[in-house]
Amino acid sequence: MPFLEQLAGNLIYGAILGAVYGLATMGLSQIFGVLKIVNVGHGAFIMLGAFTAYWMFTLYSINPMLSIPIALVIGLSMGLAVFYTVIRRLIGAPELSSLLATFGIGIFLEELAKFFWGPDHRGYTWNIGSVNLSITLIPYSKLLAFGMSIIIALILYSIFQKTRIGTAIRAVVEDREGAMVCGVNVTRIYALSFAIGIGLTVMSGVLVTLFVPVGINPYMGGEYTLKAFVIAVLGGLSSPWGAFVGGFIFGLLENGSYTILSLFPNVEPFSLTRFVAFSVLLIILLVKPTGLMGGEGE
Amino acid sequence: MRRYVRPMIPVIILYLTLLLVGLSSESRWQPVAFIMFYIALGQALNMFLGMTGYVDFGYVAFLALGSYGMALAFSSFSSLGLWVILLGFVLAIIMSSLLSLAVGAIALRLRGAYFAIATIGVNEGFRYLVEGVRLWGGSEGIIISSTMKDIFGSDLSNYISTFVADIMVFVIGFIAAFLTVYIINSRIGYALMAVREDEDAARVMGVFATKYKIMAFAMSAIFAGLIGASAWTLKLTYVFPEDVFNITYTVEAIAIVMLGGAGTLTGPIMGGLIYGFLRYYLSTVLPGFQLLVVAPLLVLIVTIFPEGVMGYVKRKVRNTRFEKYII
Repeated sequence: MPFLEQLAGNLIYGAILGAVYGLATMGLSQIFGVLKIVNVGHGAFIMLGAFTAYWMFTLYSINPMLSIPIALVIGLSMGLAVFYTVIRRLIGAPELSSLLATFGIGIFLEELAKFFWGPDHRGYTWNIGSVNLSITLIPYSKLLAFGMSIIIALILYSIFQKTRIGTAIRAVVEDREGAMVCGVNVTRIYALSFAIGIGLTVMSGVLVTLFVPVGINPYMGGEYTLKAFVIAVLGGLSSPWGAFVGGFIFGLLENGSYTILSLFPNVEPFSLTRFVAFSVLLIILLVKPTGLMGGEGE
Repeated sequence: MRRYVRPMIPVIILYLTLLLVGLSSESRWQPVAFIMFYIALGQALNMFLGMTGYVDFGYVAFLALGSYGMALAFSSFSSLGLWVILLGFVLAIIMSSLLSLAVGAIALRLRGAYFAIATIGVNEGFRYLVEGVRLWGGSEGIIISSTMKDIFGSDLSNYISTFVADIMVFVIGFIAAFLTVYIINSRIGYALMAVREDEDAARVMGVFATKYKIMAFAMSAIFAGLIGASAWTLKLTYVFPEDVFNITYTVEAIAIVMLGGAGTLTGPIMGGLIYGFLRYYLSTVLPGFQLLVVAPLLVLIVTIFPEGVMGYVKRKVRNTRFEKYII
């Protein structure tokens, strides 16, 4: 059964990619969950992470796994900078303002990247062998990305559950005024949440490079912004954990539907997988806007 | 009657000035047409976004359908002669309004960020459907330049795409301004204002919010469709899904509305004027890097100057004799 083998192979690949998708969406959900701001410039930060990995690898031959902490530092500091210059003024403002501002930030980053690094598509190969699963060949680099996504998500989870900062963040999500009365510095929590969100996103950009051999360019982020929207809505938009699970579902859906849609004559299966993705987005928004895993109400 | 005429005076002055500047020399016509596209776009979006406060991030889909409507008229009904343009506009209206009714009936139940994301989803979903099932030429799009030459001859089709198409955008923008004045002064306008300020309260007071929201949405979509039909298909003579579903146009339209002042009549015109001029000017001094300047400017406007140029002017002229002219 070549079809079933192909489907199984693609689903395994989808699950691996899904973990990275999940990580790449956690930042978006984290920021929306705490600040109620949709970061439309999300993909631009993924692009920054991808370029971080690319330059570290080609200039200093630092392997992508070691670029992750570097990306985290870059992301956290950028997050803080963007928060204190722009986002701080937009808290509680109408959606119009925050959507437009974050989109502006995204375009600005893209144009800066184009200005400094040019519009070319770049890429690198980090070849460390692969494991043969008889139905498909999985490179170790992708398995490492899979593992790393899960580890980062778990670390974030324990920070949220076990530390004082995490408790404070959860308190602000639960009840802003209440947290303020209890002595939580809400603005600082906002800043920190935004910075963590951006940090996660830039880190995920590093891992994304292991899946796009020659796709690193200033405008690569747009695609991930759109995918992140779908995934975030799958997971309930304001929950980073929901987003992580949503990433898995999305990865499976994307790669599974690709295999099935390839069977039809006269269609472009690649475009249709995206059509499927956005249809899922609309259906979920209509039927259960709190996400598949989300609870009741908002 | 005076409440309709007086606010139109600044609009007419602005439009006439722009038209005269454009006609004064041949080299000025293209920049003016470029600016005019943005003015019309801002006015069309303002009817919905400015009036209701809902952010449609997939707005460009209506322009896309309008431009497909015109292209389909050319590719399927080329035997009609000059009437094909009229048919194209009719198709543009039908297609964009049908999509707006479908999206409106479904997505307008959502609010805030959820509505914005849903509309992005509609736009992208539609684009990939067109490419995926090879609808209307799929990703190769529809090219009408040769059909146009066959019908009109090369001189007339040249004239149509370099002059008539631009004049059409002028006319569409002007009609949009008229309609905006009418809406602002009518029951619909009051209802929409109530919805924008507090939808739940408006509903409790007996305003049928859904009806008015869909009306504003459909009107706005129809104008977007007309702009797409003339400024894209007639002018450029081709339609590619990658271009016409490009989210950048949505954001440009939102930026224009905000820059000028959302919900005001003259706002989108001023916004389009400033934005269009800036983009055109920057593309001559900084070719390829206009956005590097436009993007931070966008962020700056939103954070520091959210009421927009005409919002500010409107506040300043309150209780003066100019009050009735600026709405």
